[in-house]
Amino acid sequence: MLTRLIIHIAYSLQLSLTYQRSKRFFHNLLENPNSVIKPYFDVFMICLVMFNVFLLIREVNTPLTDAELLFEDILVGIFITEYLLRVWLYRDTHKIILEAYEKATYLGIPFNPAHAIKMIISTKLEYMLSPLALIDLLAILPGYRPLRMYRMLQMFRLFKLFRYFNSIKLFSEILASKRFDLYTLATFLGILVFIGSTAIYMFEFPAQNGHIKNLFDAFYFSVVTVATVGYGDISPQTNGGRIVTMALIMSGLGVLSFFVSIIVSAFNDKMTVLRENRVYTEIGRYNHFVIICGFGRVGQHIAAQLQKDKLQFVIIDTDPTSILFAKQSGYLAIQADASKNQILCNAGINAGATAVLCTTGNDVINVYITLTSRHLNPNIRIISRVNREENVQKFYQAGANNVIQPFEIAGMVVAEYVGQPVAFEAILGIIREEQQCVMETLCVQTDSMLDGQTLGSINFDQRKLLLIGVISENSLHSQHKNRYTIKNQHFYFNPPDHFKLQQGDLLMVMGRDYSIEHFRGLIEKSRLTLRKKR
Amino acid sequence: MKRIAVFGYSSLSFEAMGRLTPDHYSLLFLAKNTDEAALVRAKGFAAETIDFRNDNELRAIGIGTDIDVIFCFYPDDSDNVFLTISARALDKHVSIIAIVDDPESAPKLLAAGANKIIDPYEICGRKTHEMLTRPDIANILDNTVFGRHDLKLAQIEIPHGSWLDNIRTDQLDLKNRHNLLLIAVVDNTLDEQLHFMTGGNPLVLKCGDILVVMGPTGKIKLFKNEVEHVGNR
Repeated sequence: MLTRLIIHIAYSLQLSLTYQRSKRFFHNLLENPNSVIKPYFDVFMICLVMFNVFLLIREVNTPLTDAELLFEDILVGIFITEYLLRVWLYRDTHKIILEAYEKATYLGIPFNPAHAIKMIISTKLEYMLSPLALIDLLAILPGYRPLRMYRMLQMFRLFKLFRYFNSIKLFSEILASKRFDLYTLATFLGILVFIGSTAIYMFEFPAQNGHIKNLFDAFYFSVVTVATVGYGDISPQTNGGRIVTMALIMSGLGVLSFFVSIIVSAFNDKMTVLRENRVYTEIGRYNHFVIICGFGRVGQHIAAQLQKDKLQFVIIDTDPTSILFAKQSGYLAIQADASKNQILCNAGINAGATAVLCTTGNDVINVYITLTSRHLNPNIRIISRVNREENVQKFYQAGANNVIQPFEIAGMVVAEYVGQPVAFEAILGIIREEQQCVMETLCVQTDSMLDGQTLGSINFDQRKLLLIGVISENSLHSQHKNRYTIKNQHFYFNPPDHFKLQQGDLLMVMGRDYSIEHFRGLIEKSRLTLRKKR
Repeated sequence: MKRIAVFGYSSLSFEAMGRLTPDHYSLLFLAKNTDEAALVRAKGFAAETIDFRNDNELRAIGIGTDIDVIFCFYPDDSDNVFLTISARALDKHVSIIAIVDDPESAPKLLAAGANKIIDPYEICGRKTHEMLTRPDIANILDNTVFGRHDLKLAQIEIPHGSWLDNIRTDQLDLKNRHNLLLIAVVDNTLDEQLHFMTGGNPLVLKCGDILVVMGPTGKIKLFKNEVEHVGNR
C-alpha cells in the first residue's frame, strides 16, 4: 500500500507542470549562474549577511534590542528556508524512486522502498556534507538560543558570502586547481617549521639563557619567523639560535615566493578560460544572434552596423590583435578557429544563432567555415564573402545562402555613380537608412486588413507611403505585367490598383520610418481584432 | 559620350569597366608598365602606359582637356592621393572617383580633391548587413535595379523650356501614364536636397530640378525623351 502511494506520488511529481515550474524557478533563483534573477537574490542575501555582521559587531558591547533580535530570527528563517530549498534542489527525489522502481520492474524483482529511501538520504547527505552546505548549516545553528553563546559559530554567517561573491568562488577554485602544488608547499613548510621548532628549542632552552620555555613557544617563534613577520616578543639569545633563525628567515622568503608564484600562475591559467566562459555565458543568454567569423575590415563594418541596429552578435577570429580590438569596442569576441566544430557549437550555432557570416579575407578559410557551419546546422543562414569570382560557385556548393563579392559590388557602385550619381545616392541612402526615407517589406498575414484586399483600396498616398512593388510566390498573380523572376519568387513592380493581395505576399514600400511603423501597427491591430471577432 | 581614365590594375577596375557600356562611355586604362597594358588590352579595353607622377603625361592623355572622369584604383592610398592632387591641379571640373584601403586615407583623398571615395570593405560590410537584416529588399534590388533585369533607377534633369516647368509632382501621375515611380526630386531652386515622394506635400517642378525615377528601361527612355523635348507635349 505504502509502496504504491510512494510510486504514485513520484509519478505525479514527474508529470506535474507546477512542480517542474517551481523547481525550475528555485533552480534559477539559487543555483543557475546564467539566470536573470540569481544576481538579484545574491545581492539581497549579501545585504542580509552584511546587516547581520553589523549586529554582530554591535552586540560586542551593546545588548541587542527586541527589533534587532526579531530581525535576526527572520534572518535565520530565511537561511533555513534557503538551506532546505538547496537540499531539495539537489537531485530529484522522485526520479531516484522511479529509477529504482523501473529497474526493479525490469528485473522482475519486488521494489524495495527502503532501498530507494536510503539512496535518497545518501544523495542528500552528499550535498549536505559539501563545504558550502556545511557553512550554510553552521550559519543557521546560532539561531538556536542555547548555541548563541558560541560566538564563533556566528562567524560562519560571514562565510556565507562565499556563496554570493563570484570572485571569492573564483579564488577557491584557483586554490583547488593548484591543490597538488599547495600540498607540496604545505608539506615542505610543515617539515621546515618542525625542524626549526626542534632546533630553536634545543638552542634556546632556558638552561642556555634563552627565552623559549616550551615546545609551543618554539613552534610559535618558528611560524612567526618563517612568515617573515618577526614580532620581536621572543628573540634568539644564543649563536646557534640566531643561525637557526637566519636559516628560517631565508627559507621563509623562499616559501612565500613559491606560494605567490603558484597563485599568480594559477590566476594566469584560469583567466583565459574564465574570459572565454564569460563570453559563452553571455551567448547563452542570447536568443537570436549572429556569428561573425573574421574581424577584419569587413567584419568590423558589419559589427558596427549590427550594434547600431541593437542586434546581438559574437565575433570569432584567430588573430589576437583583432580580438583585442573587438573587445575594446565592447563586442563579445572569442579568439579561436571558427572552422572547428567545437568552437562553432560553443558559439551557439545550434543554440540561438540565426546566421553565420564568413568575412575573413581568405576564400579557402571562408569555404571551410561555410561547410562546417552547414554541416552543424542545415537550416542556419550563411552569408560568405568571396574575393575571387571563380570561387563563387564553390561557396554555394559548400552551403552558403548568399555570397558577397567586395570588388564586384564596389565596381557596380562606381559604374552606377558615374552614370546616375543623384539616383544612386538616393537609393543607397534609402537602403542604408541614411536618408529620411526607408524601404521596408510588410507581410500580408492571414486575417489582417490586407488579406484579400485590392491595392487600390489601401490608399498608400494617404498613409504617406510609396508602394514600389509586391513580392510573391503566389501563382494567382501571374497574369499581372511588370513581373520579375527572382529565385523562387516574383517581384511585381508598380502593380495595378486591381491587384488583389494574397496571404504571404510582401509589400515593398518606401516612406518615413514612423509612417511604416504606424501602418505595420494598424495591420497587426486588424489581425487581433478579426481574431477576437471569430 | 563620357571619357573615363582608369588608373590601377585591380579587380575593381575590371568590374567597373565591364559595367560601363561602350555606347555611352569611352574608357582608357592607364597602365604602369607594358605588361599590365598588354593584359588589359587582352581583355578588350584600350590601354596606354604612363607614369602618373608626370603631369605632362597626364596632360597628354587628355586630363585637363577631354577626360570627364578619373578612376584612381591603385592599391596604395598614397598613389591615389598623389594622382588625385595632380589631376585636380590640371582640371578643376574633372570628376575623380578613388578607392581607399585604409579608412584614415579617406579625408586625405577628399582634401586632395576626390569627388567620391569608394571603400570596398565598407561596401561589402554594408551589403552583408543588408542581406542579413533585410534580405527581401536586398535581393529584389540586387536582381532588378542593380542586376540583369531591365528595371532601373534613373535621374532626369528638367531642361529649360520643358513642359515639366511649373508642374506639380502630384499632377505627373507617372505610375499610370508611364509605368514609372517617382522616387525623389532634387529641388535645385530650393535647397538642392533630395525630397522623397512619399505622399507629403507636392513640389512644384522647375527647370534644373532632377527627377529620380524607377521603372523599366524602355519606359524611362520614353519619359526622358518626353521631358527633354523642349516645348509643349
